[in-house]
Amino acid sequence: MAELTYREAVIEGIAQEMRRDNKVVFLGEDIGKAGGVFKATVGLWDEFGDLRVRDTPISEQAILGAAMGAAMTGLRPIAEIMFSDFLAVCWDIVTNQIAKSRYMTGGQVDVPLVIRTANGGGVRFGAQHSQSVENWAMMIPGIKVVVPSTPADVKGLLAAAIRDPDPVIFFEQKALYATKGEVPDGEHVDEIGKAKVVREGDDVTILALALMVPRALEAADRLQAEVGISANVVDIRSLVPLDTQTIIQQVQKTARVVTVEENPRLCGWGAEIVSIIAEECFYDLDMPIVRITTPHIPLSSADELEDEMIPSADRIFETVRREVD
Amino acid sequence: MDVIMPQMGETVAEGTLTVWHKKVGDNVSSSDILFEIGTDKVEMEVPAMADGVLTEILVAEGDTVAVGTKLAVIEGTGEAAALSPDAFEPEAPKADPAATPVPVAERPERDRSMKLSPVVRKLLAENNLSHTDVTGTGRDGRIKRGDVLDYMKGGAATVPTAPVPAEAPGAVSAEGITVVPFSYRRKMTAEHMVRSKATSPHVLQAVEVDFSGVNKARQAIGADWKRQEGYSLTFLSFIAKAVCTAIKDFPHINGHIEKDHLVVFDRVNLAIAVDLNFEGLVAPVIRDADLKTVTEIARATNELARRARAGELTPDDMANATYTISNNGSFGTLITAPIINQPQVAILSTDSITKRPMVIEQDGEDLIAIRPVGILSQSFDHRAIDGSYSGAFMRRVKEILEGKNWVESVS
Repeated sequence: MAELTYREAVIEGIAQEMRRDNKVVFLGEDIGKAGGVFKATVGLWDEFGDLRVRDTPISEQAILGAAMGAAMTGLRPIAEIMFSDFLAVCWDIVTNQIAKSRYMTGGQVDVPLVIRTANGGGVRFGAQHSQSVENWAMMIPGIKVVVPSTPADVKGLLAAAIRDPDPVIFFEQKALYATKGEVPDGEHVDEIGKAKVVREGDDVTILALALMVPRALEAADRLQAEVGISANVVDIRSLVPLDTQTIIQQVQKTARVVTVEENPRLCGWGAEIVSIIAEECFYDLDMPIVRITTPHIPLSSADELEDEMIPSADRIFETVRREVD
Repeated sequence: MDVIMPQMGETVAEGTLTVWHKKVGDNVSSSDILFEIGTDKVEMEVPAMADGVLTEILVAEGDTVAVGTKLAVIEGTGEAAALSPDAFEPEAPKADPAATPVPVAERPERDRSMKLSPVVRKLLAENNLSHTDVTGTGRDGRIKRGDVLDYMKGGAATVPTAPVPAEAPGAVSAEGITVVPFSYRRKMTAEHMVRSKATSPHVLQAVEVDFSGVNKARQAIGADWKRQEGYSLTFLSFIAKAVCTAIKDFPHINGHIEKDHLVVFDRVNLAIAVDLNFEGLVAPVIRDADLKTVTEIARATNELARRARAGELTPDDMANATYTISNNGSFGTLITAPIINQPQVAILSTDSITKRPMVIEQDGEDLIAIRPVGILSQSFDHRAIDGSYSGAFMRRVKEILEGKNWVESVS
């Protein structure tokens, strides 16, 4: 096991797959010689060269259009959209073309591509470069949505996404790029669609994703130490496919559930999950379901306001303490 | 406050006001029955749901009016009374869940402490408990899932911060007496026994059985058995085998009574009542006991008893019994009148087997011999069968126990 940062795990995951399969190519803005604006692609251009690691013009539509064509004609492209906010620019290609081609051709055409994108806030980039938009992607039938929270999951799930025969949007949380964690040595491939219980507890299950996972874990440790509430923390890891079995099992175990979402409240992923919980295990609930989210407003660029809006460990701690009796 | 015609079910559009229980000028309190209504589906009494004075009656008795019609006016404190705790009973009117009466225009504020979560309602309903049995330790005394589970595990929850419920009359501790609260299991047993006696007309029949033949088999392999298996080969396994064999000739013994008919089973799932060292009684089931040999029954019985005493039984172990044997022999009792394990047809008690002088006939001569003798007694439900059928069954059990070559069947 080596300790890597989240950004180094991105590099390792891409390099592992590019070494294994020369059909894997990588394109995006400043990903080549510059090593990516988040330095999450450093060294790939040096190793794999111009042909397989291509810098593109600043056109998200061109990036995804080219990636889609490459995928349809036999390559396994990884396309980077620098900020997930700009998925909006190429939404037609994502929702109407990439997500639909397998279905509309009756399975004759695969689109095995990965859209990597830096998602979420907490790093003072303002309303247009800080959004947490995993819920947008979750709404599109025909596309998988993976959202890792640790370096090990970045590497393993990115490798799985590249090997997946279908399109995957891979959300990397930019505030996590500098975080460190143990990553298995050698080839590491995880499974898409499995949630993970990252902390065992009996009193309440906290469902979290990406940056909200470390914050939920911090809150859980404080809940245990300060008020004796034993929190069970589940890292959802993949919104599509969603591991409803694990979620329901864990909710049944504690009978109480709290979601912690960075996306804005309306139609956030937690709303979908709690509707599943209400349908499938209503009679196992011992407390109203609680959602902790960013409010439904454009994210502020003022430091204090941004911190106030995105759920913090403090907010999670206070909310759970208040709601769990 | 306006009193309106309640919605009695989704498909009911109107109802007939049949009786007013109060007249204009009467004081009413929220729990008083204010009026009765009838529809083609249901008749019901409707409480006032508010305190005050009935100032106006707008619909006369016998009138049929649409749901939502204003029927009367109650003037009072202006505040609706809290719903009575009964409104939260999990086994509140079951007939038509849509028929909840909503006789007042405003719903009163619910007492937060009385909120029962879905999982708590489910647990209470599944276990025939009332929310009044369980002490809530949550905020404002809310009953949490853990409170119900604790209650079921070991009787009353004991949490010092929770308000102590008023003790029932007669349960006051005083010098010279000890109050023993019923455990959950005790309550369940009590409920089942009362229900069984109220449901089934019990008839007791007993036969005296000479266990000499059985004893020969026990003597033949008993010592080896005890050494190999670690426990004794008791009379019970032989009796169980004889019962299963006799049931083949008297299948109606092996059934469940359901309303107006008897369900007769091909296989015998034999429940064996196991005492938990005076801490209660459970009746785990030997499945397909009729397909088992005496020794297989002995092993299955021993395993169930072990698991029962280790607290390892699951509800599945107790389910779907078709006949029950209660073994009281070890206490030296002569005869026991057992209570039927509902919804079964009959239950057998085995009591002590002791050496007694018996008059036997040998070569045309009457002799007195010393024989191991015991009484088998069966309570049966007279709704399902008559004394002749039960008696013939008992005679068959006796014949098998006395006549079968048991040495052969265990070697």
